[in-house]
Amino acid sequence: MDYQQDFAKEVYEKVDSGAEIKVCMQCGVCASTCPLREKMKYSPRKLWTLIRAGRRQEVLNCPDIMLCTSCYTCKVRCPRGIPVIDVMHGLAHYALEKGITPREETKKFGEAFWDSIYETGRVDEATVPIKYCLKDGMIAGLKKSLSMLDIGMALMKAKRLTPKLFIPPNFFIPGSHKIKGLKDLQKMLDKAKAMGARKEG
Amino acid sequence: MTDDSMSQAILVVGGGMSGLSAALEAAEAGFKVVLVEKNPYLGGRVAQLHQYFPKLCPPYCGLEINFRRIRSNPRIEYYTLAEVTSVTGQPGDFTVAVKQNPRFVNEKCTGCGKCSEAVTATISNPFNYGLSQIKAAYLAHELAMPQRFVIDPSIAGTEDGQKAFQACPYGAVDLGDKGQDLTFKVSAVVWATGWTPYDPTKIEYYNYDKSPNIITNVMMERLAAPFGPTQGAIQRPGDGQAPKNVAFIQCAGSRDENNLPFCSSICCLASLKQSTYIRSQLPESKVTIYFIDIRAMDRNEDFYTKVKADEGVSFVKSKIALITPTDGGNLILEGENTTTGERFKAEHDLVVLATGMQPNTALNKIPYDVAYDDYGFVLGNQAIIGAGTVRRPSEVVTCVQDGTSAALKAISAARR
Ligand SMILES: Cc1cc2nc3c(=O)[nH]c(=O)nc-3n(C[C@H](O)[C@H](O)[C@H](O)COP(=O)(O)OP(=O)(O)OC[C@H]3O[C@@H](n4cnc5c(N)ncnc54)[C@H](O)[C@@H]3O)c2cc1C
Ligand code: SF4
Ligand code: SF4
Repeated sequence: MDYQQDFAKEVYEKVDSGAEIKVCMQCGVCASTCPLREKMKYSPRKLWTLIRAGRRQEVLNCPDIMLCTSCYTCKVRCPRGIPVIDVMHGLAHYALEKGITPREETKKFGEAFWDSIYETGRVDEATVPIKYCLKDGMIAGLKKSLSMLDIGMALMKAKRLTPKLFIPPNFFIPGSHKIKGLKDLQKMLDKAKAMGARKEG
Repeated sequence: MTDDSMSQAILVVGGGMSGLSAALEAAEAGFKVVLVEKNPYLGGRVAQLHQYFPKLCPPYCGLEINFRRIRSNPRIEYYTLAEVTSVTGQPGDFTVAVKQNPRFVNEKCTGCGKCSEAVTATISNPFNYGLSQIKAAYLAHELAMPQRFVIDPSIAGTEDGQKAFQACPYGAVDLGDKGQDLTFKVSAVVWATGWTPYDPTKIEYYNYDKSPNIITNVMMERLAAPFGPTQGAIQRPGDGQAPKNVAFIQCAGSRDENNLPFCSSICCLASLKQSTYIRSQLPESKVTIYFIDIRAMDRNEDFYTKVKADEGVSFVKSKIALITPTDGGNLILEGENTTTGERFKAEHDLVVLATGMQPNTALNKIPYDVAYDDYGFVLGNQAIIGAGTVRRPSEVVTCVQDGTSAALKAISAARR
């Protein structure tokens, strides 16, 4: 088992919002408010304990830190006012930066999201999931889309996904729904990325 | 050294344990005291408690002694149903305006209760925190000081009011009562307006308003009290059944940046005490106390040890994150047991929220330039002297000491 005594210090200093967890009183509210609580191996509370205990590998490799759906309930409910979600994102980002991928699927989805914005200036409920499914190639992608059919149907029912998006030219002609001024947006994104890299470096 | 002239008088606002202590100590030291109380009776919140921790004795013993001290001391003048509307001047020379609201019943009242029998309208009984209704002509509670009935303003001008008037054999019902405006010249003002239980509807994930079987700790005191809404029988408000599996949720809204950020210091002890109410009355019933940490300091730690020795009371280290009512009137509690690390769901048939004390000075500011801390507690060393729970959340012993200390400060201001 790894114990790295200075890991807590590393988190407080290097991870975005990492220092916020210093005031955690270990009440466990975050654990039970998270809608993904059943899917998490640890809870935010336990992760903070592991950080304090110096379990660097275990924390940075833990898929939980990339499971967050950004619902913000933990941040709203934490009695100590800790932005739990920001710390989770901070940790995920930090792990990626260190060359660790705590959860492959989230990483792929994030990339699909980014690519969609970068290439078209838009994100929508059709393009991003399709890009995400196709990350593993055509066959695997088709399989994955089929396995998620029920989610797609539910989204359609909730009017979050219109079949229109799948009808040509919207989907099959690449770039048919690009925004105006995409080049300018890309310049901004490039700059933001460079600034981010400089901050981390 | 005794001087009864009003110029050396001391005004005490609030007739709870803190205010009573301040008033009595000052009066017994020879000073004239004016005591102003908002309720129709003296005693404050402790009058609503069943027993005191850690000795489990009835609060009325102590209250009765204080009431006797008041009755036998000509230097104390007290006004119920009264509030301070303005304070001007400075220590040594204050002018205070007081508004006394109408009681519609004068000093001829013998407490016979004929007016109450005559009227039909009822109101939600504030003394029982809404757990019961009471006739709109009522005695605030069995042992109220003064033992004088009150007619609710809502019926004063109605037929019911007339019925009360006609029923009183002593001519004590005065429907034309307009209350009175009073002015006092005093040399010191002690502010002891006490506390209010934190509003549980603000903790929305506890769904307090979704089930009658989620109650607060102050309601639990009433359920256990012999003169309470159930004559002391502990029952679920939803169906009148004796609870078999009771949960106490500690820090309900306390130590929480979104609600009351401070520790109320007494609610751990209140829950420990209330678990003894349940276990002694219903030996078959189980009690579970969900807590972040139990704060029972000094002599009170022995009481905690005693309660812990009871097998029927279990302690789970977890702040409850969600309460969901079931169709059958039970409640599902969710949390993470931080000792074992398990996330759990537990079903109970009665849930008591250990809500904290919010200082009344956070809800109703003193009409004078006074400094407060971030939570509305009155700071020390000011022209107006705070006493008791307006200064910090505390148990009765501390309030009595603080009231006495306020009396000393007031006396030194009065003698300057
Ligand atoms: C569930 C529970 C159980 C408890 N059990 C115990 C126990 O067993 N033992 C113990 O030691 N302590 C106990 N406490 C604490 C105890 O209730 C307080 O310490 C005590 O009530 C404080 O007295 P006080 O005079 O400061 O305030 P209060 O009792 O609130 O008295 C203040 C008085 O001021 C009056 N007032 C308010 N505003 C105004 C105004 N504007 N003008 C004039 N008058 C006003 C009020 O009507 C009231 O009469 C318990 C508390 C809770 C919540
Ligand atoms: S809710 Fe906040 S204080 Fe409680 S365990 Fe989670 S992070 Fe810590
Ligand atoms: S006394 Fe106990 S229940 Fe009350 S706020 Fe403090 S820790 Fe919480």
